[in-house]
Amino acid sequence: METEKIQDNSSTATSTYGEPIIEVKHLQIAFGNNQVLRDYNLTVRKGENVVVLGKSGCGKSVLIKCIVGLLNYDGGELKVLGEEISSLEQQPLDILRAKIGFVFQSSALYDSMTVRENLEFALRRHGKHKSKDEIDELVNETLENVGLIHAIDQMPAELSGGMKKRIGLARALILHPEIMLYDEPTTGLDPITSREISNLMLDMQRKYHTSSIIITHDMHCARLTANRMTVMIDGICYADGTYDELSSLPDPKIHAFFE
Amino acid sequence: MSPALKEFFNEAGETAHFGWRFLKEVWFPPYEFKEVARQCYEIGYKSLTLVGVTAFIIGLVFTLQSRPTLVEFGAESWLPYMVGLSIIREIGPVITGLICAGKIGSSIGAELGSMKVTEQIDAMEVSGTNPFRFIVASRIIACILMVPILTIMGDAISLFGSFLAVKIAGPITWTLYFDKVFSSLQYSDFIPAFIKTFFFGFAIGLVGCYKGYHSKKGTEGVGRSANSAVVVSSLLIFVIDLIAVQVTQFFGFV
Repeated sequence: METEKIQDNSSTATSTYGEPIIEVKHLQIAFGNNQVLRDYNLTVRKGENVVVLGKSGCGKSVLIKCIVGLLNYDGGELKVLGEEISSLEQQPLDILRAKIGFVFQSSALYDSMTVRENLEFALRRHGKHKSKDEIDELVNETLENVGLIHAIDQMPAELSGGMKKRIGLARALILHPEIMLYDEPTTGLDPITSREISNLMLDMQRKYHTSSIIITHDMHCARLTANRMTVMIDGICYADGTYDELSSLPDPKIHAFFE
Repeated sequence: MSPALKEFFNEAGETAHFGWRFLKEVWFPPYEFKEVARQCYEIGYKSLTLVGVTAFIIGLVFTLQSRPTLVEFGAESWLPYMVGLSIIREIGPVITGLICAGKIGSSIGAELGSMKVTEQIDAMEVSGTNPFRFIVASRIIACILMVPILTIMGDAISLFGSFLAVKIAGPITWTLYFDKVFSSLQYSDFIPAFIKTFFFGFAIGLVGCYKGYHSKKGTEGVGRSANSAVVVSSLLIFVIDLIAVQVTQFFGFV
């Protein structure tokens, strides 16, 4: 009953946003006997930042990997920008992926490339019409936005954890995606750097008008960035609402995240 | 069927499927020329010192060890023929293949394994790039191109080491030694040995990439990938060598 009530509130809250750009309906995925997502539902609207909360290993990262087509799901529907992911061939999937920025938990910067080459990598493949000067300008602008223009010729191994996260964010933003997927963007960072990254995510959202799904355990990050939050428990969307709505719920399963 | 045997056939099938995917995808654009060139430098140029030093020592020691027996039978003058034939036909390609399996196979297995566990391969896929073509195909192509070149260079250095060993033992000129070596060799000795090195390169690249690309269980898996890449590709070198000898004999080159 409480869940339904909160979802009603959230639908009021989300009515200020645009059309749905990610629609997840009855999503199911299992690894062997482990049913990770059972009947997961989620809608993200244009301009909205949705935080997905849940215990470690509950399937949050699996969800965003399904959204970007890295994992195949067993059942249900998953539409991104109106396209059903499971029905896309490789080429249309690659075109769709250019509209999605993915920030990995481990930053996943290419070790053998400099920061500049990391940023240019996707740009050279998806922005073939761009000249070298245009590419350089775009790389410099994106690095300036994340405050790391001085690190342009450094190798990932020379960067700190926070710097790697920023470069990971810059790399995801370089193609000006419509959707951003963050997989625990502040994990492993100190509180100050963590707050800086959260603020940067908000700044970038305002600048590039992206919609986001943010997977996080960091409640400060969630409070700063979320327009709406959902709680994933036992492979379903257990609750859905704003930060204040969820934090005031008496349900111990939800309250545990806010303690 | 025992689980170990089942696992073996499963791995063999998966590796063959991986190789088939390479053969299917490698012909079509986009071509990653820059990455292939970079891998040729990493794989070929950076292995040259190891291959060169090993080949030199093998040539030198092989000659020093063979000479007393030939002297005993009064056949010392046959030494350049025997050494030349052995190095070109068998020792050069197999030793170079094994060195490359150790150095290149382990390096590819570990590099791709760490890329896998740190999600770099996923990141590449998400950015709309085919990671198989960029990472795997470029490395296998580089191995196919570089192992034969390394073998030829290794053969030459090995023969030079052999010349030095003969020179230490008695007076012989550079021209006379190499004249004797090459007079014993025919194209039918060189060409089959050269052709099999392409297959050595393919096997080293394929196994290294397969093991790394399918690395699991974090850093432990990376070590295991590197290790099994060396073991499997070294074994494959001998298997390919055996098949090459049979094929060569079938076509009447021996």
